[in-house]
Amino acid sequence: MVAVDTSISAAARAVPRRAAGSRSRRAGTVIANTVGIVFAAVMAFPAYWMINTAFKPANEVLLFEPNFVPEHPTLANFVSAVKAPYFLTDLRNSLIITLSSVAGALVVGFLGALAIARFRFYGRRALIMVILTVQMIPLVALIIPLFLLLNKFELTDSLPGVILVYVMLILPYTVWTLRGFIHNVPRELDEAALVDGCSRWQTFTRVILPLTAPGLVATSIYGFIQAWNEFIIINTFNSPEHENLMAWLLSNQTNRATFWGPLMAGAVITSLPVVIFFLIIQKNIAAGLTAGAVKG
Amino acid sequence: MDVMAPATVADTTPPGGEQRSAPTPRPRKLFRRDRLTPYLLSLPSLVVLAALLGYPLFQMVHISLEKFERAQLFGTRPSQWVGLGNYTRILKDPLFWQVTRNTIVFTVVTVVISVVGGLLVALLMKQVSRWVRLTMIVAMMLVWAMPQLVAAQVFKWMIDADFGVVNYMIDKIPGVDFFKHSWYLDPLQGWTVITALVVWGAIPFLAITMHAGLTQVPRDLVEAATVDGANPWQVFVSVTLPILRPLIVIVTTLSVIWDFQVFTQIWVLRDSKPEREYYSLSIYSFTEAFGSGRYGLGSAIALVTVLLMLGVMAFYIRQMFKIGDAD
Repeated sequence: MVAVDTSISAAARAVPRRAAGSRSRRAGTVIANTVGIVFAAVMAFPAYWMINTAFKPANEVLLFEPNFVPEHPTLANFVSAVKAPYFLTDLRNSLIITLSSVAGALVVGFLGALAIARFRFYGRRALIMVILTVQMIPLVALIIPLFLLLNKFELTDSLPGVILVYVMLILPYTVWTLRGFIHNVPRELDEAALVDGCSRWQTFTRVILPLTAPGLVATSIYGFIQAWNEFIIINTFNSPEHENLMAWLLSNQTNRATFWGPLMAGAVITSLPVVIFFLIIQKNIAAGLTAGAVKG
Repeated sequence: MDVMAPATVADTTPPGGEQRSAPTPRPRKLFRRDRLTPYLLSLPSLVVLAALLGYPLFQMVHISLEKFERAQLFGTRPSQWVGLGNYTRILKDPLFWQVTRNTIVFTVVTVVISVVGGLLVALLMKQVSRWVRLTMIVAMMLVWAMPQLVAAQVFKWMIDADFGVVNYMIDKIPGVDFFKHSWYLDPLQGWTVITALVVWGAIPFLAITMHAGLTQVPRDLVEAATVDGANPWQVFVSVTLPILRPLIVIVTTLSVIWDFQVFTQIWVLRDSKPEREYYSLSIYSFTEAFGSGRYGLGSAIALVTVLLMLGVMAFYIRQMFKIGDAD
């Protein structure tokens, strides 16, 4: 009892001073919170405006005094986007191109990552250097010679040509990230498996592969996003029936610039898979770009 | 990963510890015995990179020294060696200098605003309540996830002269007339929109990365400085900033590399046919090649662009090696 009494009285004595401190701190938090909410609202506004426009009927889109909530929400824009020329063809192309290039980059990249993560060999450092450098070469610098190269093999205006280019585009990041994931699998596990009589292939399929599975998923999703979002190359090399959904979106803008409703609906459809995938793996993306920059 | 590893350790180690202590022959290391394996493993990657990256780069240098236009592409005329002709031509062209200046100014302004802005947002995230921080992160993730093309189209729609919501809102400010205001007539305003779009898109990565960095700053260091009488600004400058420095250097370098290549945002805002006032070096090169069919000249411009960035790229790679992540 005594102890409780003293603690209460101690608390009571401390109240005035602490209250003053916390009041100013609380005022600070309120200001910070307000700024934070305003910031979040400004950042999210474009996404909101895209969705807002996508659900507005045509006559409501073109208002000098825009409605901030659609008065008569409709799905008409989505219907007209899906029915627009080449939508279904280009959606199919998008899926084929993206999935094949991710699969290609994953197979090729995993082997390269294995070499870098598990072996010390002459030229290893040079290989790392190449992989890091390659990621920074501007796409626009490569597009001219790539065009000439594919043109030579009559691969322009075709899906395989673009798939090859996309494999090359996502390969460096794939190797680099997978290397990190393999590196995190303790070497002792390989050795233990070998001691237990696993063959090399079994060690690979039963130890390294399952342990790097989360990494494989994350890396392939990132590759998916890269390939799905690319439009400059495909729009330059291919005709509309061999384009992807992003390029389709761009040509819809230039062909019918004022039809903002269907365009925004198309934009929503096109971004949806990317946004979902992105949210799944966002942690890995940032980590891959700046890995280890802060080590305390 | 970290959670999974211990469980699998238990799985793969043999039941009963005796087997481990038994004298075993030197454990074979996975794939390690023969010298050839690493080369075989990296071969596919090397082939892809050599064929689709190395060769094209070489080819780019080659045709930048040639008169290579549509006629040469279709093979109706042989390509013609012009030596440094394309280079002297662009260096003499006032447009090239104007575009280079625009690109550099744009890069500097955009990088400074986005890195400083990102840092401020990161600091703000430490001050706000939990739910506000969560709201901020969700909003930023949404921005980060949006494809560049889509984001640019939405901005284009928002600043539409007739029905754009931005003009409508600015017009609401008393005494300001933004009714039917076109943002592209004055290149300075047009570039402001481009900068705003790029900064808006870059803030999430920068803020979230730097916020993660801020959480690594040891709390006792900050407390010790405060006890010693440092005010918050002094704590920031002498404790937080030095710890954050390597991260800031990396994200700034990355931002320079990204912003110097700006293409998508301008391309979309200007309806795939930008006026010369809105050329960046990337757009200039692309338009010369695919717009005017002057592939040789376009390659020369692209090569100059890469050369201008080379210093920054080298710095980034050195930094990655220094941190030790590349090892």
